[in-house]
Amino acid sequence: MSSLRIGSLLIALALVNAAAARAQDGPFFVTYSHYLEEPGNLEVALSNTSGMPRGDRAAYSAPWLELEYGVKGWWTTEFYLEGVSARGDSSGFSGWRWENRFRPFKSEHRINPVIYVEYESINEASRIQKEIVGAGPLSFEPIADLRREHMHEIETKLILSSAISGWNVSENFIVEKNLTANEGLEFGYSVGVSRSLGGLASGTSCRFCRENLSAGVELFGGLGTSQEYTLNETRHYLAPVVAWRVSDRSTLKASTGFGLTDASDHYLLRIGWSYELPLRGRR
Amino acid sequence: MKAILAAAIVVYVSLVVATAEVREHDVCWTAPQNAAAKPNPLANRPDAAAGGAKLFQDRCAMCHGADARGTEDAPDLSQPDVQAQTDGALFWKISTGNSRSGMPTFSFLPELQRWQLVLHLRRR
Repeated sequence: MSSLRIGSLLIALALVNAAAARAQDGPFFVTYSHYLEEPGNLEVALSNTSGMPRGDRAAYSAPWLELEYGVKGWWTTEFYLEGVSARGDSSGFSGWRWENRFRPFKSEHRINPVIYVEYESINEASRIQKEIVGAGPLSFEPIADLRREHMHEIETKLILSSAISGWNVSENFIVEKNLTANEGLEFGYSVGVSRSLGGLASGTSCRFCRENLSAGVELFGGLGTSQEYTLNETRHYLAPVVAWRVSDRSTLKASTGFGLTDASDHYLLRIGWSYELPLRGRR
Repeated sequence: MKAILAAAIVVYVSLVVATAEVREHDVCWTAPQNAAAKPNPLANRPDAAAGGAKLFQDRCAMCHGADARGTEDAPDLSQPDVQAQTDGALFWKISTGNSRSGMPTFSFLPELQRWQLVLHLRRR
């Protein structure tokens, strides 16, 4: 059974179990906004990136598990486990990540900065593409070979995010350093706009109404490296995104990314489900 | 590399444990004058309060309690010091949050829904 099928099955099972709830996640998969996890909340998320490469390269699927915890109102930490599977090839574990986001200002401003620092212990088979940096297409060597090439990376982001008349506008500037190879610094970006589709909330419980839907679009890609400032062979995607609050604590989101350059895959299809668990003394 | 990683994990866990305390009350958290002066556009729409009650249960009850009387995580919203604030001040606080005291930012909600929450709070 492919990892895509397993991921779909897990998501379906999770939806069935999502009885009570609350979540405020935006629809983005790549772009971060200034909204951090609420203190004491643990969010468990299952997501999958399916890539449809150009040419005769095999389609692939990259599921990941995300554990996000709100340590403080200004500090959110996340742990990721990720895998990969390619059609006609093998499957396997592709690494883990540990991410921290810090919001320096107490209240909301016109532009709200967030500092992002992540450590990645991944291998070259990683294809979840939570961010895209540097230049060059994905490597399509056998998964088993790619998994032998291990990397330790530090990724930083400057997240700028604004709430403007019901819209969220977010810009992320990414710098990544591979600690195990002399590749210089790799740069990337992501920008996104989204908004809730609802107006006045109805007084009755409804799951299929507009107030539980949000939608947007994100644009992301690589910006070369410090060793070669060029946009040649960089990957860029434009991805409409939609999120649906399935219940108060769970959100389902989906996105189709359209590759904008020859180095990009044709499409990146993403689906994700998240569920929030209050851990710290909540009722 | 493994030693550095192990040390980082130890420091991280220590930080999480050390900072995992109950939310503190921020007495300096006041709305700017122009925000506090904003009237609630739904003030004459009592029918909108039902939506506010639903939003409160969805978004706020987890910390403030289903009856808004507060929990160990967040204050009692029926208290005079809360109810004495203007609609505009409550709207501003819901919108901007306070990352130091743990109050989330709700500016991702449509503006009318935040005003519905204010309407609901006035009925406490």
